[in-house]
Amino acid sequence: SSNEHKLNFKKSKEACLSYIQDALLQKQWKRAAEFLACYVEALEKDYSREPIGPSEMIWRIGTEILWHHSQSSMKEFNCFMEQMKTLGVKRYLKVCLEHVFHLLCNGQIDEAYQNLSLAESWRFGEQTAIQDKEMKLVQAYRGLLDYCSWSKQKNILLEQGEDGFSDLAVEQEMHGYFRKAAVNLKEIIKMPGVWDIFVKCYVDLLEFYGDHKEARQVLNEYAYNSKFPANPNAHVYLYQFLKRQREPKKSLISALKILHDIVPSHELMIDFNTMLQKSKKRKKRRLGLEVIFAALDYAGWKENAKAWSCLARQMKQIVTSEKHLDWIKQEWSSRKDWWPAFHFSRYLAKRNWQENENLSYEKALVAGILLGKGCKYFKYVSHQGCKAQLKRFRMLKKFVNKHNPVYLRISG
Amino acid sequence: MEFPAALFPSYFGVGPPQEEGGPAPVAGWGEHGQVLEGGPGRRQVQPAFVPRRGATGERWEAADAAAVPLLLPRAGCWIPSPTPQDILYHSGLCRKLRAGKSGATLDFARQLGHFFVDHPEDAFGSLGRLLHKNFYLGNSKLQVIVSRSSTIRMTALVEDIDRLEARRGCPRQHLASRLRWFSHLCRDWLFEVPLGLLADCLHEELMQQWSNLLFDDSLTGGALAWLPPEDGGTPVGCLVHPGGQAMNHLYFQDVVLEELPHTRGSPAQFELSGRIQQVAAARVDGQDFVGVRSDYHCGVWRVLGKRAAAPTPLQVIRTDVPASCLTVSPHLPGELSVCTQSGTVYLWSVETGLQQLRHDPQTMFFRDHSPWRWCDFTAHPRVLSCADRTGLQCLDARAPKRCHFDLFKVGKEAGCQQGERVVLPMYLGRAHPSQYLVTTQFSVYVLDERLPLVPVLKWEHMMKAPPLFAHLMPGKPGRSHKMLLGASRTQELLLLQYRDIFWGVSSGGSQSACQLAGTPQKLHSIAGCLQHLPTQLPHRHHLLQQRLTAPAAGLAATLQEDGLHKSMLIFQLSEAGDVFCQRLTHKAAQPPAPPSRDEATTAPGSSPLFEAPASSPKGLGAAALRYRRWLRALSRVCKESPRHTWPPSLSQRRLFTRRDLEGLAGPSSLQRQMRQRLRQIMEKGGRIQHWEPLALQPSPLPQTLEPAGGLDPLSARLTAAWAGDWEQWWEERTSFSVAQRQQALRERRRRQKRARGRRSLSASFTSSLTYQSELSELSDTGPSLFSPGRPPILSQERSPPAGSPPVHSPTTSAAPDEALLSSQSLRCRGIPKERRKTLRDYLSVWAEGPPEPPEPPASQVSQLCIPSSQSQLSSASQPRRKRPRMGF
Repeated sequence: SSNEHKLNFKKSKEACLSYIQDALLQKQWKRAAEFLACYVEALEKDYSREPIGPSEMIWRIGTEILWHHSQSSMKEFNCFMEQMKTLGVKRYLKVCLEHVFHLLCNGQIDEAYQNLSLAESWRFGEQTAIQDKEMKLVQAYRGLLDYCSWSKQKNILLEQGEDGFSDLAVEQEMHGYFRKAAVNLKEIIKMPGVWDIFVKCYVDLLEFYGDHKEARQVLNEYAYNSKFPANPNAHVYLYQFLKRQREPKKSLISALKILHDIVPSHELMIDFNTMLQKSKKRKKRRLGLEVIFAALDYAGWKENAKAWSCLARQMKQIVTSEKHLDWIKQEWSSRKDWWPAFHFSRYLAKRNWQENENLSYEKALVAGILLGKGCKYFKYVSHQGCKAQLKRFRMLKKFVNKHNPVYLRISG
Repeated sequence: MEFPAALFPSYFGVGPPQEEGGPAPVAGWGEHGQVLEGGPGRRQVQPAFVPRRGATGERWEAADAAAVPLLLPRAGCWIPSPTPQDILYHSGLCRKLRAGKSGATLDFARQLGHFFVDHPEDAFGSLGRLLHKNFYLGNSKLQVIVSRSSTIRMTALVEDIDRLEARRGCPRQHLASRLRWFSHLCRDWLFEVPLGLLADCLHEELMQQWSNLLFDDSLTGGALAWLPPEDGGTPVGCLVHPGGQAMNHLYFQDVVLEELPHTRGSPAQFELSGRIQQVAAARVDGQDFVGVRSDYHCGVWRVLGKRAAAPTPLQVIRTDVPASCLTVSPHLPGELSVCTQSGTVYLWSVETGLQQLRHDPQTMFFRDHSPWRWCDFTAHPRVLSCADRTGLQCLDARAPKRCHFDLFKVGKEAGCQQGERVVLPMYLGRAHPSQYLVTTQFSVYVLDERLPLVPVLKWEHMMKAPPLFAHLMPGKPGRSHKMLLGASRTQELLLLQYRDIFWGVSSGGSQSACQLAGTPQKLHSIAGCLQHLPTQLPHRHHLLQQRLTAPAAGLAATLQEDGLHKSMLIFQLSEAGDVFCQRLTHKAAQPPAPPSRDEATTAPGSSPLFEAPASSPKGLGAAALRYRRWLRALSRVCKESPRHTWPPSLSQRRLFTRRDLEGLAGPSSLQRQMRQRLRQIMEKGGRIQHWEPLALQPSPLPQTLEPAGGLDPLSARLTAAWAGDWEQWWEERTSFSVAQRQQALRERRRRQKRARGRRSLSASFTSSLTYQSELSELSDTGPSLFSPGRPPILSQERSPPAGSPPVHSPTTSAAPDEALLSSQSLRCRGIPKERRKTLRDYLSVWAEGPPEPPEPPASQVSQLCIPSSQSQLSSASQPRRKRPRMGF
C-alpha cells in the first residue's frame, strides 16, 4: 500500500541519514558525500514537520562536507550555498550569514560584503522575531565591514598626512564608510547581547570624529544596562575609554570598583591595586589590600608573581609602619583555614623555588608575615635562598625574624 | 588567566527557553555560529576573521580498528541488568489496543507471579504449609470420601487462570466467577505479606527499574579514574575502577603505557559495601585523592605520587538518602564535595568533617521532578557550584546563604531548547581556571564563571544518549584542549577540541574567545569490536554480544608525549566491569591525503584487527592476542548457563513398555534423600559437588527405619517427621498391612544393596560435569574460536592446522549424550541389558544425524565433519574423542 511505501521511504531516509552521520563523525567526507547524493531524494517527499527538515539537513551536511572535502573548491561552495538559500524561505538569512562567515574566514571580504548587501535587501512577507534578529546581525556585520574599510582609508590618510599631502576623494569615501558603519552598528548595540566588537568599532568611530559624549553614553549603556549580561569587557572598555579621556583618578577607580565587584579575578585588578596603593586616603589603601587578597583567592592567580609582589609590597609597608595591622588581620581571618594548604604548602615551596625564584621570594615574604617564621613555605624558601647565597633572601629572613610578633597579633 | 579582549557576538534574552526542538540528528554540522575579527596585527591590509566553530583542529587517528580489552575478566559472572522485555507487558493484542496511547505498560502481574513462584515460602509460607493438604492438584476425580469434604480440586481453577492468560488484553474479558470467588475468599489471609503492601512495593520497584532503564543518572560522572604518572617518571599510571559481580570491589591497577598498555602486578583491592557508582580523582600537591561514591556511602583514598605505597583509605561517610555526586577538590588536599538526592550539598574535608552548605529539596530555577543533584568546585577554592536539572548556581562556602550567583540557567540566556535539562556539569579547571562544562541531552556548553549565564561556547552534540561522562585533556599553551564525551547506554564516545588561545605564544599569546576546533570525532565503542571478532557459536555470540553491549560506566583518558610522537589513550569501562582501551595517534598537519586508508577498510564485516596488515606486522599480534586471551578468560569465568549445554532430554514413554519402567516405581529412600538434598542445594543455590561423598555414606535413614518397628508409635512418627517422611509413615501405618510392610522392607533393603553400586551413577554425573568444563576449555583454545575456514594466524604454536584433531584435548568423550548413554545409568533406570544397545544406537543417531560407522578411518572423519565453524559438535564427531565410549 502507499502508506507502507511511505513508511519504507521514511525508514530508508533515516538509515541513509545515520550512515551520513556515521561517516561525518569518522571524517570520511567522501563516503558522506556519496550518501548525501542519495539523501537528496528525501527532498522529494518532504512531509516532515520536524524542526529540522531534510532541506536544512542537506544544507548542514553539505556545508560540513564542502568544508573538509579534499576536492572541494570555493566556487563549488558558493554555488551550493546559493542553491541552499533558495531551498527554504525561513532559513534564507541564516544561510546567508553562514555563507558570509565562511567567506570572511577565507579572506574574501569583498564577496562577503556583496552577500551581506544582497541579504539586507531581501524581503519576504512578514518577518518573524528570529528573522528580525538575523537581519540586525546582517546589518551589523555589514557595518563591521564598513568600519574595516573606513579604518583602511583612515590609515591611508594618516600615512599621506605624514607626507603633508591629502586626498579629498579618499577622505570623502572614508566619511561615507563612517556613516554607513555608524548607522548599522548603532542599531545592534541597542539590543541586549554581547556585542564586544561592534561596540569597540562604534566607539572608535565616534572618538575619531570627536563625539565623546555619545561614546561615553554608549559605553555606559553597554556596561550598566541591566538588560545586558554582566560582561566584564563592557567595564573594561569603559575604563579604557575613561583612561584615554584622561579622566580623574576617582572616576577610574569607581569604574574598576564595579569591575572588582563582578569579577574579582580580572587581570585589571593589579592596575586597580597599584592605583589604590598610591592613594593618600586610608580607605582606598584598605580597599587595595582587599582587592589583591581577593584576586589571589583564585586558582588562576596562584602563580602570578606580579600579584604576589603587589601583596608583599603592601604588607611590608603595613608591617614596617605597624599601622593598620588590623587590616591584614581581618583579611586573614577568613582565609587562615585554607590559604596555608592552598598557597603555602611544602610541595608548592619546592615547586615555586624550582620554577620561579622571584615568585617564591614574594610568597615567602607574605607567608612569613602571615604564618610566622615557623611556616613551612617560608622555612624552605629562605633556607634554599640562603644556601644559594642570595642577598635578598637573607634580608627576607632578617625581616621576618624581626617582625615575628606581628604574626602573633595577626593570627590571634 | 586574562579575560578575552572580545567575545563572539550573541543575543541575550531572559526567560524560559523558546526554541522548540528536540533531538535533531544533524543540528551540529555546517555552522560557523559567529565570526570575530582578530588577528596578529591590527595594521594589516585585510582584516582576519576567525569562526566560533569550524577552525582547523589537530588530527587524531585511531591506531587500531577497535578498542582492545585491557583487563582480563575477573571471576564471577556479570549479571546483566534487566531489559525492557523483562519489565514491560507485551502481547500482540495489547499492543494493538494501546497503539493510540503513548507510554509503556509495566507487566506487573507477571512480576508478582514470578515472586509467588520463586519465593513461595515468603509469599504463602505458613498458610501454605497448613493448607497444602486441602488443595488437590491432580487430574483425576477425588475418590476418598473422607478427603473430599476437606479438599478442593484446584485443576479447574488453574485452567481458568490459563484461559484468562490467553484472553489477556481482551476488552470484554470477564473474570471467571470461580476465580473471583476464590480470590474473594482468600485474598485477605492467604498471603504471608499483605497483598496490598506487597503490590505497592513491587510496583514502586518496577517503576524505579523502568525509569532507570530509560535513563539511569546514578552513573553520572563515571566510575573510572586515571591517575597519571608523575612528570618525568616512568610511564606507569594507575587505573581506579570497580569490579566484581556486584561492582563493589575497588581496584587500583598499575598500568604501563606502551604501544598497547598492559597491567603490571596485581591490583590493590578493597571490598566495599555497595555498588560503586562513581570514582572521582584529583591531584593536589603531588598526591592523588580518589573519591568513591556508592548509593549510601562515600569514601576517599589517598595515593601517593611515588606509587610505592598502597593506596590508603582515609575516611568514609554514610548518607541517609542516596548520594548523587562526589567530586574531589583540585585545590586543597583532602577536600571533597558531596551531594545527596534530597538536594543537600556538603563540603567534606577529611580533617574537619562535613559542612552543610545548602539544603533545598526544590529545584533552583523552575520545577523539575528529578531528584538528581550535582556539585563541583570552581576557580575559587571556597566557592562551589551546585547543579540540578534546571541549571547551576555558585555559592560561597563561607556564607552559603548570602553569597551566590547563577552560573547557568536552562532558558533563553543560554539559548536552550524546550525540554532541555542539565545532564553533567564539570569544572574544566585543568584547562582554564574559570571555565566550566555543562552538557545537556542536546548540547554541550562551555561557560566562563566571569561571564555567567552566557555560554562562551555552545555546540549541539547530536549524541543518541545524553553524555553522562566527560573527560578533559588540557592542551599545552597554543594547542587545543581535548574533551571526551561518553554516553552510557549507547556507549557513544565523542572527541571534541576547543581552544582559547589562537595566536600562539610567539606572537603575544593573546587570550581570545573560546572556539571549537576541528570536527567532532567518533571513537570506537566497546561493542564496536564485535564485528571484528571471529565467528562464534550462536549462543556464544549472544553471550558475547550481551557482554560487550553492556552500558558504559566510565571514561578516562591520558595524553602521552615522547618527543614528536603524541598519542592519546582512552579507557572505557562497561557495566560488566570490562575495561577497554584505544589509542589515537596525532598526525602532524599535512595536506589532506587522497582517500584515507581507513575509509576503505572500515566496511562492515571486514576485520582489519585480525588480518595481518602488511604495514605493521608487530601491531597485529598484540591486539589480536589480547582479544584471544580475553575471550578465553571470559568463557572460563562466565560459565554458560546450563540450559545451553544440557544434554537434550528425551521422553522415554514411547521407547519402553510400562513394565520396563516399573522397576523404578517407588523411589528408594536413598533416591528420596538425594532428591531432598538436591532440592536443599538448589534452594541455597549451591553446587552439587558434595553429592558423591554424601551419597556414599551409609545413609542413616534406612538404619533407623529397621528398628523402627520396635519403637513406640509416637517416637517412630516423630522420627519420620524429622526425616521429612511423615506422610509416608502415615500411609504405611494406615493402608499397609504388617506383612506388606515387611515385604516392603525387604524390597527396600534389596534396592539399597543395589544402590551401593550407584556410586557409578554419581561418578557418571561428575564426569559429565567435568566434561562440561572441559568442553568450554576446549572451545576456548580450539579452532571453534577462530573459524577453520580462516588461516589460523593468531598463534601458530597453539592451534593445530584445520582438519587434524586437536592434540591437546585431554577429554575423552565429547558427545553431549554421554551421561545418558553410559550403561550404568541405563541400568539404573532399570533398562534391560538387551535393550541398552538399541537405546544407545538410537540416541547416537538422534544426536549426530548420520549413522556412524563403527570405526571410521581418520581421513573420512574430517570429511564427515560439519564443514564450517558452526558448531562444537563437529569436533565432537571426531573419532579420537569418541573412543572411550566405544570401548566401554
